[in-house]
Amino acid sequence: MTTLAAAAVWLQPVLLTVLVLRVTAGDAEAPWLALGALIAPLVALLAPTRRPADTNPVAAAAAAIAVALVLAADFVLAADAAALLGGAPWLGVMLAAALALLVPLLPATRRLGPPVLALAAVALLLPLAAVALRTGAAPWTAWSQGGLRAALTFPETSGWVRNGERFARAARLTFIEGQRVTTLNAGVFRVTERDATTPTVREWRLAAGEALTLRPGDELAVEVGSRLRFEAGRRVPGAPASGIAWADAPARGPWMLPGAIGALATLVGGALALVPAPRRRGPPAAMGPLALMAAVASAIAWGVYAAAAAPDLALGGSPLTPLLRLPSRAVGPRTGGTLALLAVVAVVLLLVTAAVALRERLATTAGPRPAYWAVAVGLAALLTAWSPDPWRLLVLGLGLAAAVWAPALHAAGRTAALVGSIVGACVFLTLAGLPVLAPGAAVWLAMLVRYPALAAMPLGWAAAQALGETTGTGAPRARPDAR
Amino acid sequence: MSVPRRRRTAIAALLVLLVGAPLLALAPAAPGAVRVAGVSLLWWYAGVVAPLLATGIAIAVLVRGGE
Repeated sequence: MTTLAAAAVWLQPVLLTVLVLRVTAGDAEAPWLALGALIAPLVALLAPTRRPADTNPVAAAAAAIAVALVLAADFVLAADAAALLGGAPWLGVMLAAALALLVPLLPATRRLGPPVLALAAVALLLPLAAVALRTGAAPWTAWSQGGLRAALTFPETSGWVRNGERFARAARLTFIEGQRVTTLNAGVFRVTERDATTPTVREWRLAAGEALTLRPGDELAVEVGSRLRFEAGRRVPGAPASGIAWADAPARGPWMLPGAIGALATLVGGALALVPAPRRRGPPAAMGPLALMAAVASAIAWGVYAAAAAPDLALGGSPLTPLLRLPSRAVGPRTGGTLALLAVVAVVLLLVTAAVALRERLATTAGPRPAYWAVAVGLAALLTAWSPDPWRLLVLGLGLAAAVWAPALHAAGRTAALVGSIVGACVFLTLAGLPVLAPGAAVWLAMLVRYPALAAMPLGWAAAQALGETTGTGAPRARPDAR
Repeated sequence: MSVPRRRRTAIAALLVLLVGAPLLALAPAAPGAVRVAGVSLLWWYAGVVAPLLATGIAIAVLVRGGE
């Protein structure tokens, strides 16, 4: 296995597109998440070789569920794409699931993975280069320009202003200045008015073409598929108040440190389980780290250009929107349409290479039977109905892999691996299920509920290591191809 | 330096680089918000300096290889 093939399992479309959206939106966590998305797989590439998990049924089951969760996060993007195009979200999920199911089962896909990944990277970078050339600004210049904006408002050229746009997912929009919003499809819209001590909730049943007048502080609940038109020159609801607020995220504070550690621990632990050990060394081994750096750097740059040129692209919360709309907004509709298509091709190619790599990982753990892969893909498709939040699905998938799968891979013996997996699984499931089991306790342990791997992974590892030492089963086996 | 030790040192260096981003962002007085050539120190670190260093470290260890 080359480092480039190993990197493919990490470069999930959901990881890169969520990074793009978070940078566009000026999310407070974006800087360390972007760095974590790069460093976590690098740590995994350097980590010592690990034992196979196939002798451990708990780790094998966790691996299958983790793979399904990660795939589900990718499928949510397909649902978004279908909703943005005016179709039913499930149609997008079915198409993506069919692609993920069939392509890894075709012969020679394993060999084609690395070149296809390189092609996807080029397809992701080309539109970016076109945007940079057209705007005449390097990413750092675009960042600086975005950070100097007095207010993040809807420009005249925005699709939200001209013909209206669809919401790919349900959203709650908070308005910090008054605005008239026109509905372009019939529906029920819930407005929470906060100008009195007790908030008032009003429901409006509107026909296509009717308008809602919202006042500062109002919150509008929007259903999936709703098409709305906003006023040019008005502030984008939910966006940072100004360029400085986008650049510096004033909400950041020391209280965010546990969450940051939770997110980074989940990324590193998930990578240690998911990213396989490369066997080949020498100069070609540089390809994997370089591909990872290029992919993460391009995700940051997409987000920076989107924020500078069109801050309204984060509205609606779909990670695909900046990729689909930025080229048209930055270089014009004709060339922009082609470039957006190229970006979509890049996402599809990333999905294909990620599916091939995930299937290989599942085969080394649960077994090579196509039925196992089919079950994982089917489960992933079902999970998209359970949670429409791709980041949550990804965090749960990586967290489960970190808590249950990783301790088994690093244990010193079979018994230690099994115990480590069981302890990790019990703690992970308890924490993840806490909002249902004990809502009161979940409030106090909010950070552990959000990132269950933060506690489950060290406890699982500690159990595996302690048992490994007491039973004296020796050092982990050096089997570079068995991870 | 032996191969396992080199790898352990490299992993430790990567983790230090990783933790640097939230520390720079969340430290009191917000040192990450200081502008250098128009861009915040935090984004120079998380978007340019740390990725280049981390990739360089990983490549150096992987290319030299050995198990």
